[in-house]
Amino acid sequence: MNLVWKTVAAAFAASLMAGTAGAQDTIKIGVTQPLTGAFAASGNYVAQGAKLAEEEINKQGGVLGKKIQLVIEDNKSNPTEAVATAEKLISKDKVPVLMGAWSSTLTLAVMPKLMEYQVPMLVETSSSGKITTSGNPYIFRISPTSEMEAKAFAPMVKKFNIKKADFLATNNDFGLGASQEFQKMLKEQGVQIGAAETMDPKATDFSAQLAKIKASGADTLFVTTAVEQATLILRQAKEQQVKARIITTGGSVSPDQLIAQAGAAADGSYHLVFFTPWFPEAVKNPDIAVKFVGLWNAKGHNVGGLTEGFRGWDGLHTIVAAIAAAGKAEPEAIRAAMWNVKVKGINGDIAFIKQGPAGRESAQNVPSVYLVKIDGGKVVRQ
Amino acid sequence: MDPLLQHLLNALILGGTYALLGIGLTLIFGIMRVVNFAHGELYAFGAYMMYLWVMVLGANFYLALPLAVAMGVALGALVELVLLRRLQGADIDTTMLVMIGAWIALQNMEQLVWSGVAKSINTPFPSAPLVLGAVSVSWNRLFVFVVALALIAATYALINRTKIGKAMRATFQDRETAALMGVEIGRIHTFTFALGSGLAAAAGALLGPVFVVYPTMGDLASLKAFAIVILGGLGSIPGATVGGFILAFMEELGAGYISSGYRDAMGFLLIIAILLLKPTGLFAQKERIG
Amino acid sequence: MKRAVTIAWLLFLVSVPVWLTNLYVLHVLVMTGIFIIAAMSLNLLLGYTGQLSLGHVAFFGIGAYTSSLVSLGFSVHLLPNWEVTLDPKPVWLAMPCGTVVAGLCGWVIGRISFKVRGAYFVIVTVSFAEVIRLVALNWVELTQGPMALNNIPYLRLGAPGLFEISFLRKPANYYLVLAVAVVSYILIRRLVTSRAGRAMIALRENEPLAVSIGVDVTRYLVLTTIVSAAIAGAAGTLYAHYVRIVDPDVFLFIYTVTMVIMVVTGGKGTLAGPVVGGCIFGLLPETLRSLEIGPEVQWVIYGVLMVLLLYFLPQGIVPALRGWWQARRGAPARAAPPQASVEAAQ
Repeated sequence: MNLVWKTVAAAFAASLMAGTAGAQDTIKIGVTQPLTGAFAASGNYVAQGAKLAEEEINKQGGVLGKKIQLVIEDNKSNPTEAVATAEKLISKDKVPVLMGAWSSTLTLAVMPKLMEYQVPMLVETSSSGKITTSGNPYIFRISPTSEMEAKAFAPMVKKFNIKKADFLATNNDFGLGASQEFQKMLKEQGVQIGAAETMDPKATDFSAQLAKIKASGADTLFVTTAVEQATLILRQAKEQQVKARIITTGGSVSPDQLIAQAGAAADGSYHLVFFTPWFPEAVKNPDIAVKFVGLWNAKGHNVGGLTEGFRGWDGLHTIVAAIAAAGKAEPEAIRAAMWNVKVKGINGDIAFIKQGPAGRESAQNVPSVYLVKIDGGKVVRQ
Repeated sequence: MDPLLQHLLNALILGGTYALLGIGLTLIFGIMRVVNFAHGELYAFGAYMMYLWVMVLGANFYLALPLAVAMGVALGALVELVLLRRLQGADIDTTMLVMIGAWIALQNMEQLVWSGVAKSINTPFPSAPLVLGAVSVSWNRLFVFVVALALIAATYALINRTKIGKAMRATFQDRETAALMGVEIGRIHTFTFALGSGLAAAAGALLGPVFVVYPTMGDLASLKAFAIVILGGLGSIPGATVGGFILAFMEELGAGYISSGYRDAMGFLLIIAILLLKPTGLFAQKERIG
Repeated sequence: MKRAVTIAWLLFLVSVPVWLTNLYVLHVLVMTGIFIIAAMSLNLLLGYTGQLSLGHVAFFGIGAYTSSLVSLGFSVHLLPNWEVTLDPKPVWLAMPCGTVVAGLCGWVIGRISFKVRGAYFVIVTVSFAEVIRLVALNWVELTQGPMALNNIPYLRLGAPGLFEISFLRKPANYYLVLAVAVVSYILIRRLVTSRAGRAMIALRENEPLAVSIGVDVTRYLVLTTIVSAAIAGAAGTLYAHYVRIVDPDVFLFIYTVTMVIMVVTGGKGTLAGPVVGGCIFGLLPETLRSLEIGPEVQWVIYGVLMVLLLYFLPQGIVPALRGWWQARRGAPARAAPPQASVEAAQ
């Protein structure tokens, strides 16, 4: 008996030591994404994109002579859980930098923790203006704000001859923020606003909202939500014979996924995206885009996830560039260095400008925005 | 006027599947006195099995449906034999808690196998709807309605026209006497649970392709099934059927005219109101036993 | 003997933040403590009156939301022209508000729900919790709905010029939770051993008989529900000002289930039961997480564990341990080794 216990104790102690010894040789980077819940599809794609970047960076020797290691936590599409993951990543895993948290509501929830622990976070998807204007100097965002998206779309209003527009947005910071910004932009061009409906992020039945939208007689419907709900909205809109032209915003509504899951109901819809894998020649750095698509397909990931997964890739590359410039894997150094990084990303060239109240500015990138249409089961440029 | 007709039509179609859920639970609750919190999981299981057959294994949609239901029946029988047999005679709280344990285990196994990402099931129906004057209905939902009605009728016939149905009714009315008359209570219990679970799986297999399939889809279904059972009265199939339609109408009209956000609250408000005002439900055949 | 053990335990618990430098583990202990308080309150209802309330998380959440809203201030339109505004109040005022409001809701629920019993009571309580969740989700003007109440202030106690304690860091919160837990335990214990408590146990064992000897069923049930709800509400306020973000998912059924698992496996109807159950199910997730076991597998383990415990130790762990301990001491005169005496006693 005694010998058995001694062996077990020795093995246990050895494993503890091995664990801690190993930890010194990698630089941990925390990632919080919705891997389950209402935004699970997109969160998984972003995580997959980040892992591809991790492999590629490690293959080229890592950074500062060490390999990087992603610690990915599931925030379950829930703000309280997002805070819990941030707490765990910072206190337990001691990561010097984070990436997340996908949805604007989740990111806003995490922001106080960043101030408390003074750890920077790279925001790869969230679009609410509040994130970079609340005076949080630990935020570095590479995705566009809803305001930028609306401005990028503005020239299309005349081309589409939009006279009256309805809105269907998910009831959180992402949806409501986008709805507000686009309404502002449209009003400036003299467009009449019809019905502005919302729905719960977990809802699956939109018959009530769509009935009101159908009754408003608008020629265009702007939809802002995650791809799961967008699929159902397109299907149900067709079932209820909603005649308006549907335009989705936010960049996370993957056209390929819509074609696969909504079928013919997706035809004739337009989408604002931030990466066009179907015509990589349109992006600023086509060689990186093509490489990314190649690696993604080689892993066998869902091709519908490209328009979302690139965010993880771009985000991780930006973080690693900051770590390299900082010279050490510490939160304050990384934060200071990130202001000056210039990275060639899939979306375009990434660089940060100041946004928010003076003295406590957050960093914001100015990315490219593209409009595509689904026609006859294929994605077409606009 | 158009929206009202459309709402009524939507409610009619939704009511069919709600009735299926309710009938399954009222049989289980009524005959076995088990508060089956795992009922929603059978609903989700039916949907996932549809996904398995149609999307993963590439089977024909119309063939996959009965297969999914059959698997639901099998799972129900398994749960009864493994978990509930030993608890014969235990108090209602213990069985309830065991069913909660089963619910947790089943839901998380589902999440483990299929991941938390919502799944879509392709159907052979055209996406353009059938237009009937001022209203339109999707072919998919029409199919669901027809099948649901057929299953309800079949279940009614089973309970009221067959020998085993008679045994079930006898067990419901008076278990001891039925046992004395030679009814094998154990066998009836397994059959009841399997049947109820099969109906829940059918509801899931039918609705899965209409919406999306995700691991927690059964939670709300469980609670709504309870609302229907209480509305219709314990053990009453006509009660559960009517209850299902009433719940669907309340939800659709409530969502359409009051607030779409409170749609799901209708069922719960109904439960609270009914239990406080008329605890035996609308069609109770037997006194409520507390 | 018992008193000495209790004091030793308390001293140990009080000393923890002094030697435990791992802040993350301390965080886990604080969260476990909050859940233990909630489990104790559920045990009062479930264990002592025999009424299974599966809507208990509603009181927890109402306490959390009320306290948060009072400390953040709010402004709602109850009618199109009638706006109700409340300026932010200090947290030491908000927390008792949350507790009191939760207790009031307990009174309402108690009065309404106890018209029905058994399975129907369960369903009414579940429905109540769901309705509250949907209200929290949809009444965005008040609760911010899915966008969550963020930046909830932390508790600050102080006399101007004399001292100030702020409960921002983990050690301070640990002591706060410990204090509330001890107070709740004492309160529950006094209630259970009092006349009211004996009436409740009479109710649980045999309701018709209790009624026939004149026990006012509804009065005692309602009293118990109020106390139970208030303690759950207090746990909710602790949660709100520690985690400092509250969203409608706090009302999810799964949290009630967690509390139920803690009470049932620990031992319903015993004072130590929820504490033991809470420790196991509060700390188990972290142990499993460090063994690289994913959350889904964890929950499957809990489900299976609960079912097994319900089969083999239907009274829970604490009564089983107590029985085993008593069986051991039951044959002191024999010189036989412990195993034999246990077998003999059985």
